[in-house]
Amino acid sequence: MSEAPVLLAEKLVKRYPIFRGFRELVFKPFDRRTVTALDGLDLEVGRGRVFCLLGPNGAGKTTLIKILAGLVLPDGGRALVDGHDVAREPGPARTAVGTAVSDERSFYWRLTGRQNLEFFGALYGLRGAARDRRIEEVLRIAGLDGAAGLRFNGYSTGMRQMLAFARALLADAAILLVDEPTRSLDPQAADRIRSFLRDELAGRQGKTILWATHDLGEAADCADDIAVISRGRIHLSGPAASLAGGGRAALHQAYERAVGGGEGRP
Amino acid sequence: MTGQARLRRPGAAVLAAFLRRDLREALTYKFSFVASLAGIFLSSATFYFVAKLVPAGTPSLGPFGGDYFSFAVVGVAFAGLLGMFQEGLAAVVRSAQLSGTLEALLVTPVPVPMVLFGSSLYSLLFQVFRTALHLAVALAFFGLALGRVSGAGVALVGLLTIICFLSVGVLSASFVLVYKTGNPFSWILGTVSGLLGGVVFPVALLPPWIRWVSSLIPVTYALDGMRKSLLASAAFAEVLPDIAALAAFDAVLVPLSLVAFRLAVRKAKRDGTLSHY
Repeated sequence: MSEAPVLLAEKLVKRYPIFRGFRELVFKPFDRRTVTALDGLDLEVGRGRVFCLLGPNGAGKTTLIKILAGLVLPDGGRALVDGHDVAREPGPARTAVGTAVSDERSFYWRLTGRQNLEFFGALYGLRGAARDRRIEEVLRIAGLDGAAGLRFNGYSTGMRQMLAFARALLADAAILLVDEPTRSLDPQAADRIRSFLRDELAGRQGKTILWATHDLGEAADCADDIAVISRGRIHLSGPAASLAGGGRAALHQAYERAVGGGEGRP
Repeated sequence: MTGQARLRRPGAAVLAAFLRRDLREALTYKFSFVASLAGIFLSSATFYFVAKLVPAGTPSLGPFGGDYFSFAVVGVAFAGLLGMFQEGLAAVVRSAQLSGTLEALLVTPVPVPMVLFGSSLYSLLFQVFRTALHLAVALAFFGLALGRVSGAGVALVGLLTIICFLSVGVLSASFVLVYKTGNPFSWILGTVSGLLGGVVFPVALLPPWIRWVSSLIPVTYALDGMRKSLLASAAFAEVLPDIAALAAFDAVLVPLSLVAFRLAVRKAKRDGTLSHY
């Protein structure tokens, strides 16, 4: 990669403590057991690329996204967002990315779509007329300009997902982190989200997108680059054209070889 | 807009956004809003009739103006305020964990302490309004007997009390960030304050063997100082012992709570449980 990567993970390690019951806490107070989510993971994402992180449940995808978003601290290695170390420079690192938190519970259900965006816009430092213009812009991009005055609790699941993208776009960050954006959507809504990410955000807006998914077809159809992650490590990485050049079946075979039919964390 | 949005340092505008958000939400629950205010009238009425059982000039009420109704109303109104400062921060963290909004707030550039304070600001200000309304209702309809009010005493006792109880609130929020439920600060202070802090009866009525515990909790000094300043026409010098005690609590609790909060955020980020519930 000639240009410096905008997302970089080097030997990234994350171990989560395992929940201990009362008995263990009393009789083995110093026996701190952990489960490894990331096990020396290395990753580079170039500017303007759609990078699909493909892996089974528990592979470490969400942990990597959360580390890059500043929600989780790594135990080892380092992660850089647009050159900022997420552990040492959390502020600049957080402003460099837009994280699409797609949990529909992450909105205020009794407020309208626009009111939600007004609130989050203020948190991203947007004020007055500039904020209002930006909100109209992201609503239009997300195709929600006609529904902005509706309460969030009246939105369909697909509309809620689009509002999550609109929120992530408020600060106009050049990098977007999206974690399984088509989960729980019907096939048509999922297709709309995929083309929105691929054609609108990456194509027209020029965003760099790190896109976690366990859907091989999604990765084959949408990614510029694909990395297969399992058990906290990248097992296979490269341009989608070479990995999925032979179609979904070829990607499936490569994925099976890389993952070894194994699951991620239980 | 091209490139990244111009991001300014968060400040008043961010706090205003939190306030606007919570006011908008509160106004969608109109009945709850009205019922909460109606409760103030009922509380004052209850103590108005209970006070008829307590003869005027009861010795233990002497240092506070001698009238039980005024004693109790000031105690209840300010205990509600202190309870909110003490528990409000932890409550908003818990609520955001449960509702799922915490993660969306924490990926914004706003620092965690400001997310916490901003999220609780509406509740805190609304409780200040409720306290003022409580006193106004008691004054207008039930004959609250204010003395010669010491503005300096009220202001200083109020400021030190707010700092003290906000610090307890930060300690509570730190606990909730890491352990989620079972907040001991809220439980201990909430339960103990009601019984031993002199909210609805003077501490002097407690048996001597337990009265000393009252001297260990800040609510005793907060209510003592506030009642002397509002009801007993006390000179500023007479309130100074309460002010000194509250300042001592602040000197210990402020740094302790800030360190605890920093450690709690770090541990929650390390354990990956910042937004878990």
